Amino acid sequence: MQPVPDNIYLPQIAILDRVVEEIAEVKTFYWHFEDPEAQAAFKRFLPGQFAQVSIFGVGEFPASLPPSPTEADLFFTVRKVGSVTAALHALNPGDRFGVRGPYGNGFPMRDYSGRNLLFVAGGIGLIPLRSCLNYALDNRDRYGMIQLFYGARGLKDLMYLGALREWEMARGFECHLTVDRADDQWTGNVGVVSSLFKKPGVTVPVANTTAFVCGPPIMFRFVIRDLIEMGFKDQDIVSTLERYMKCGVGKCGHCCIGLAYVCADGPVFTYGQIKHLGEVI
Amino acid sequence: MRARVMDKAHWLALIDRLRADFDEVIAPFAGRGRDTYFDRVTDANRARVPLHVPNPYYPPKRYVLPPIERLLQIHLNSTPRIQAAVDAPRRAIVGIRSCDTAGIDHLDRFYLGRDFRDGYYAAHRQNLFLVNVVCTDPEVDIDDDCFCMCADTGPAAREHFDLQVMDLGDELLVVAGSVTGEALFADPIFRKGTPAHLARRRDILAHVRTRFKVSTSWYWSTVKAITLGEVADSTWERIGNRCLECGGCSYMCPTCTCFTVTERRLGPDDFERVRIWDACALGGFTRMAGGFNPRRAAHDRRNRRFFRKLAHYFIQRELSVACVGCGRCVEVCHGDIGMPQVVEIVRRTTAESAHAARA
Repeated sequence: MQPVPDNIYLPQIAILDRVVEEIAEVKTFYWHFEDPEAQAAFKRFLPGQFAQVSIFGVGEFPASLPPSPTEADLFFTVRKVGSVTAALHALNPGDRFGVRGPYGNGFPMRDYSGRNLLFVAGGIGLIPLRSCLNYALDNRDRYGMIQLFYGARGLKDLMYLGALREWEMARGFECHLTVDRADDQWTGNVGVVSSLFKKPGVTVPVANTTAFVCGPPIMFRFVIRDLIEMGFKDQDIVSTLERYMKCGVGKCGHCCIGLAYVCADGPVFTYGQIKHLGEVI
Repeated sequence: MRARVMDKAHWLALIDRLRADFDEVIAPFAGRGRDTYFDRVTDANRARVPLHVPNPYYPPKRYVLPPIERLLQIHLNSTPRIQAAVDAPRRAIVGIRSCDTAGIDHLDRFYLGRDFRDGYYAAHRQNLFLVNVVCTDPEVDIDDDCFCMCADTGPAAREHFDLQVMDLGDELLVVAGSVTGEALFADPIFRKGTPAHLARRRDILAHVRTRFKVSTSWYWSTVKAITLGEVADSTWERIGNRCLECGGCSYMCPTCTCFTVTERRLGPDDFERVRIWDACALGGFTRMAGGFNPRRAAHDRRNRRFFRKLAHYFIQRELSVACVGCGRCVEVCHGDIGMPQVVEIVRRTTAESAHAARA
């Protein structure tokens, strides 16, 4: 047996600090690396990149990095959906797990300088967009108007609400919320997320705007249709894709769609690219 | 490239020399009928290492990419202990055919190239010494399904070997393709060749090239059709409907690279994380946790493999076609949609529809 230098499959040990319940089945896990050097290296990630999370003895899964690199904390927001995410949900503060990354292309934030940013998210689709949104807010003067249109099934399914309200107050961005089904406590908009675009008092600039869309496939299709109708060009609509992944580094082949390995060539693609990848969404 | 000549009678001496130099020597052996297989050369079988042999059904891919390979050994504790090591003996394959040599070169470009270098693959590859034997016996070496002429990988590999052996009759012509290969020429079994040897080599190759049998695979019009999106959905469906989704083509392919990763229990607190060959024809290949499968339509999935191998973007990206003309997929496929058949179906249907459009 011999050692494997620069092992791309070797996770670093991470320690869970605290867990915050977001919505049903979705929790945020704050963590740090055991090795401070690994922590420092990892902190150079870009908005939109992702990491491979290992629960030892169970498996590994790809997870978006919701924090902006301008934030102090590292955390994942993960829905309990399969065996490994369930094992992550069962961890307690102080428990150790594995992380490797960051991987993927991330959002080309420099390209958006001087542009308006329009975020359109559905349900847990806000998780992969959060990094980009908060990065833009932390560099507020580089960008024009920043808007978030966010929809979920009900009030109980809206995520990061506390942070969103706080940012809306303090940092100069518009946040519009909607739910598919209202309950007694809901006084806001009811309907699909793109219905917000036409609400009185809402102006969505089209010229010089980049739109970020992330959500379930059906929401994605309708929002894209509406954005195109409004005059958005394919290359000004950006999304981040998720796929079954085993390696995160362009080797295992599971996430390869059309001409792209989502892990290495993505996960951030423009709609113009997505259209030509074939077999997406 | 340097070349030397040796007596055919010294073939066994060459094998023994390799056995002395390496931890293990692998060679193709004849089983029953035309069945052949790669196996370790031992004291008992060393005299049976053939010069001419039908290419084994299973490719030598497993010597650089084992079907199951441990990536990590995990000991669970309050602080988990993670160990990574690779078992990569110094190994020679003697008798690897030209198509399989090209296959390993393709794997090199995939696993060692681009942004991430696979350390496990690199360790196996670094310790691997390839003695390529040129297919010069049309009756024994060349199968009905061989089409290396179309893939431009044979019958004599031009590169990517350490030594190349060619049967000239009573003598063997040995070409060195690497510095380590050339170092072996110090052995007294080798002597300098003459221009007559090289002329004989040319004559033999010219003859062998005329002795290929039934399979052909004229890739390039198919590459063009796939790259430009000219293949009709009905054609993909026709191909897909013949697929039994067994995954055999991927497992037999010397260039297929996909793997899955899973955790296996070794003891109460011990686990290993292994990677296992995987195949894109299988239904669960793209299924995500929670059950959503973005590649649901069966023909999507079934034709994924051909798209990945024949789209020009990938050929350019790896600087080689992920098909080396070994013919194994033709042999393994129950639906008769090996690479040559698919190339032919796409070529015909796109030509026919272009013809119909002109009429």
